[in-house]
Amino acid sequence: MRKLFIIPMLLIITACQKKPDAPVVLTEEEKSFSFSAAGKLTPAKSGRGRLGDNYIYAPDIRFPIESGPAYLNSQVYGIGGYLGPKGSLCDEKNYQYPWHDNYCEKRRWGMPLCDGGKGHQGVDIRTSTCEKKKYYAVAVEDGTITYIGRYTVKLRGESGRTYRYLHLDSPSVLVKRGAKVRRGDRLGLVSNNMGSTKTSIHLHFDIKQTIKIDGKSTKVYVPPYTSLVDAYKRLLHGNP
Amino acid sequence: MRLLLIIPFIFSLLHADSGILDIKWPKANAKHLKPSIPYPKVLTEGIKDVKLPVYIPNSYAYDKNMVVVADNNFYTISFLFKGATIMISGDKTFQESVSNNPKFKAMLKATPPVTFEQEEGIMTAEFNRHGVNYSMAIECDNPNIDERCKETKLIKELYNRLIMVGGRP
Repeated sequence: MRKLFIIPMLLIITACQKKPDAPVVLTEEEKSFSFSAAGKLTPAKSGRGRLGDNYIYAPDIRFPIESGPAYLNSQVYGIGGYLGPKGSLCDEKNYQYPWHDNYCEKRRWGMPLCDGGKGHQGVDIRTSTCEKKKYYAVAVEDGTITYIGRYTVKLRGESGRTYRYLHLDSPSVLVKRGAKVRRGDRLGLVSNNMGSTKTSIHLHFDIKQTIKIDGKSTKVYVPPYTSLVDAYKRLLHGNP
Repeated sequence: MRLLLIIPFIFSLLHADSGILDIKWPKANAKHLKPSIPYPKVLTEGIKDVKLPVYIPNSYAYDKNMVVVADNNFYTISFLFKGATIMISGDKTFQESVSNNPKFKAMLKATPPVTFEQEEGIMTAEFNRHGVNYSMAIECDNPNIDERCKETKLIKELYNRLIMVGGRP
């Protein structure tokens, strides 16, 4: 009986083992890229993330900024941030690896998947340099632009997921409501637009999808970090 | 060996098996489908292929400047006003499923029938009707000053004035 179980398992493991391909050559940027674990928020006082949730909710999406490097870290708790150490938002330490997840970072609003039911519904990403209106946000998958607000562009992907891009420079937005876009199409330039409210130069990116739970369903913002790490590695490797 | 059994189990908690939700079609709002004054063409044409109940706030049902983006499985309708944008959307697809998972069950149980939140300066409402998930949002030029985005009064009013204007099985 035990053999009957072990033999198929060994076959599965053997099949899963990657056969040697041509040697993978890493670019310098790939070599330097590093990231902290999904759900590990920095600093610790910034909240509790979903440690251990390494599930990739949006597999194979393109990275939402056209080119690297990009730096995923907290705007609120980073240098110059509202609750961060004093200094310039453009401090070079804000523009360094490793990435730090900031999904579920402390916020006032409800977030069902975060500890305590509240938290940041997406992640904040800084562009290569601290310059607004220079770097394009792009479509992460084929889909339709369903909504353009004061500082929001919403893409509904063919997967049914909804992706939100916040803080783009409004005059630079290249798409219209109802436009069909392809993965990688330019949407607009990353900026610090939040209406009359000041924010730092960054892209707030979030993913909303419907989860069916024993026949019922709910639409929630899901953790984007692991999907973005995966997408960013492909971007750096030249295969976005 | 135990580990080999545990690993597939962990990853089987969520399944990326997308599909269409079951809709329990309503009867109560059927009268709204045939209004005494016809809805504007932008609305009737825009939602003609939508296969889920289409709700919008009644006060905006005749707004000819609305923008409708829709297909069989979803709709998004937005209204532009001075200093603010209002949006409502419905979607009958799902992207993940999970069964017999206590954490997700508890999350669903803890979710109120409708939530009103201000997030990122945007006032939102989320709710499920007939098995479909709907979202509303009010986004302002001046989110920290404009009461439409600071207070829940307007979004609650809009939510309470939703009428079904179309959609078909």
